Amino acid sequence: MDLMLILKAVGALSVIGVITSTILATAAKRFYVEVDPRVEAVAAALPGSNCGACGNPSCFMSAEKMVSGELELNACVAGGQSVTDAVAAILGADTCDAIAMISARHCGGGDRAVRAYEYAGVRSCAAANRLAGGPLACSAGCLGYGDCVRACPFDAIHLDERGLPVVDPAKCTGCGICVKECPRGQITLLELVPESAPVVVRCNAHDKVKGRKANCSACCIACRKCERECPSDAIHVIDMLAVVDYTKCTGCGTCVEVCPQDCIDLYGCGTTVDTIAADGRGGDVITNVTGERIEAGA
Amino acid sequence: MSGVSQLALLFIGAALINNILLTRFIGLCPFFGVSSNMETSIGMSLSVIFVMVMASTATWVVWEFILDPLGVGEFLYIPAFILIIASLVQFVEMYLRKASPVLYRAMGIYLPLITTNCAVLATATEAAKPGFFKMNIALGASLSLGEALVYTLGVSVGFGFALITFAALRERLELVPAPRLMKGTPIAFITAGLLSLSYLGMSGWFGL
Repeated sequence: MDLMLILKAVGALSVIGVITSTILATAAKRFYVEVDPRVEAVAAALPGSNCGACGNPSCFMSAEKMVSGELELNACVAGGQSVTDAVAAILGADTCDAIAMISARHCGGGDRAVRAYEYAGVRSCAAANRLAGGPLACSAGCLGYGDCVRACPFDAIHLDERGLPVVDPAKCTGCGICVKECPRGQITLLELVPESAPVVVRCNAHDKVKGRKANCSACCIACRKCERECPSDAIHVIDMLAVVDYTKCTGCGTCVEVCPQDCIDLYGCGTTVDTIAADGRGGDVITNVTGERIEAGA
Repeated sequence: MSGVSQLALLFIGAALINNILLTRFIGLCPFFGVSSNMETSIGMSLSVIFVMVMASTATWVVWEFILDPLGVGEFLYIPAFILIIASLVQFVEMYLRKASPVLYRAMGIYLPLITTNCAVLATATEAAKPGFFKMNIALGASLSLGEALVYTLGVSVGFGFALITFAALRERLELVPAPRLMKGTPIAFITAGLLSLSYLGMSGWFGL
């Protein structure tokens, strides 16, 4: 009786197993879908981490789009140059440069920015920003308490003697964590720019130029000199602030030379200057770090 | 009670009063895994409705014609049903890929997730041999195929309803100034508890 039950159980499960596996095997043959072999090859070349940085939910989908031409070959942010080269080789296209991004600070204030009050709380930008919008008179400038420095997982940002965070373009990977951590990252105080970006504007203010100048001696005064002098039409004053169009910028450095405020800097790995040393050090220091106004030239 | 109202009660009982996610606490992995945005939760819900109904039909047939007559169902139902559900989902995935690429795109990534989902197994088991999970006191000793389908449809619609509600809540929770320690999953757990409490308020409706 018991043996019979065991046999029945084994028999029943075997029958179900054989039937389902036969159905599956037939289905695998009958419903086989031919995939473009190039798609599979490209999908194999992509990192396969489905990070979504290219804007597609999976690497396989971006592989399909790369093959059909909807997506640029250098769209894979995580893979970088080597993946771009591999994809280009599979698809028989000329390779192109991967677009790497780095972080840039749009402020040259630091010790030149006037303080509206003396802040003595926690040394954190997020905390300072919550106290009546921060101690700076300028509502768009860098608070300088180093939230980005502590957030950076690659040790690419350091505060300098002016109290401003300086990004090392060679170490920055463009992960964007500093932009998220910065309480003013949403208003582009910190922004990701192309790694090859030759220049960067060290000001983020959009308020009236007169009030802005009283707040900070390093600000963009919207004089439009850079706009007039730029040979490639790559820099424009938009909403009272110079903005660089990196698709047009050739890195000639004209704007850097003509800027009366020295608030445009050579930047990025594409330039030969020591960008860390050159980081926006023009203009007169008008306050000390604690914010007391000092005489110009003192 | 007439047949139709009996079926309606079966449906409501399965969908709301004995909601599989919030009253029975089965299938909690997708409840937290895919509820972070509305779009994926809707895709998941549709796939679950589809797969649950197919799976219940298959397990009902196997129970009725193979396992129960042989008298081996009592101890063999779990491996047998897992086998059936897993291969059924595989089959459906292959078929969809060939026959309807659009549907495959919409459901494709969720189908493998559901293959061995406990909610699907529980519902399929309950539809084939009622009483084991004590999912619904209104069920008799055994269900006809029609009743089993209505019951499964009720459970899966209830699953989708709870999942989409929860996803909507979580989307709003993203914007809530919650304390840093509570952000993300912790606040979602608490919200799920409150949502579950509100579903418990329905127990006792229509004597179910």
